[in-house]
Amino acid sequence: MDPLIVPGTLDSLGPIRTYVKAAAASADLADDAAYALMLAVDELATNTVTHGYQDSGLSGDIMVTAEMAPEELIVTIEDTAPPYDPRAHRMPGEEDLQKPLEEREIGGLGVFLAMGGVDRFGYERVNDRNRVLLAMKRGKSSQPPRG
Amino acid sequence: MALNVTLEEKDGVAKILLEGELDASVAQKFKETVEQAAAMNPTKLVLLMEKLAFMASAGLRVLIFAKQKMGEGVSIYVVGAQGPVLKTIEMSGFHHSVYLQDTYTE
Repeated sequence: MDPLIVPGTLDSLGPIRTYVKAAAASADLADDAAYALMLAVDELATNTVTHGYQDSGLSGDIMVTAEMAPEELIVTIEDTAPPYDPRAHRMPGEEDLQKPLEEREIGGLGVFLAMGGVDRFGYERVNDRNRVLLAMKRGKSSQPPRG
Repeated sequence: MALNVTLEEKDGVAKILLEGELDASVAQKFKETVEQAAAMNPTKLVLLMEKLAFMASAGLRVLIFAKQKMGEGVSIYVVGAQGPVLKTIEMSGFHHSVYLQDTYTE
């Protein structure tokens, strides 16, 4: 699919989800896989907007590209914010997830949900750009059979 | 799709109806409604999520805010959350701290 290029603002989250949803439908992803991918892209784009651009006092675009490979749908998210590898983010561990909400820390959940929901996750810094890669296996049978 | 947030209070129960998609761009609207609900000093907070098609972690953070703002004494009920939204709540471990129900009867 042609890349989607939108301003790095929170108002772009809706259009980004619409783009990913359309790509997931073309790739014949199961409903739960499509949602997980949409959520993952939404969380990472949110981080780019709030931490990558806003916290740094910068502005820039976000480019989302969906690419259909034979076995998987690959979505890349690129931005021109300072280097940031989501894999380096401190994520909640099992102990944190068991904690009552009144003791919860606010951070880390988005990246946790994003990375936990997709089949493959990658990051690289290319020509002053952050490039995050998310991939989901194609086909209706992404869920293991029950029982 | 935007987010519609409606608050009503009856007999000490604050109910918030969420419809649409809850992402970081609209989470503030939900948070402000939780603040209004907290100001009513309810005994319960009921979140009606049947018509919520999408929820990002920004929505979960408002749940944390609600619990911290209202205190342990106020029970939070999440009612009618649909498949993937429910899964997000469970993945995050929030089902240990809120009551998940299919329906809510007064």
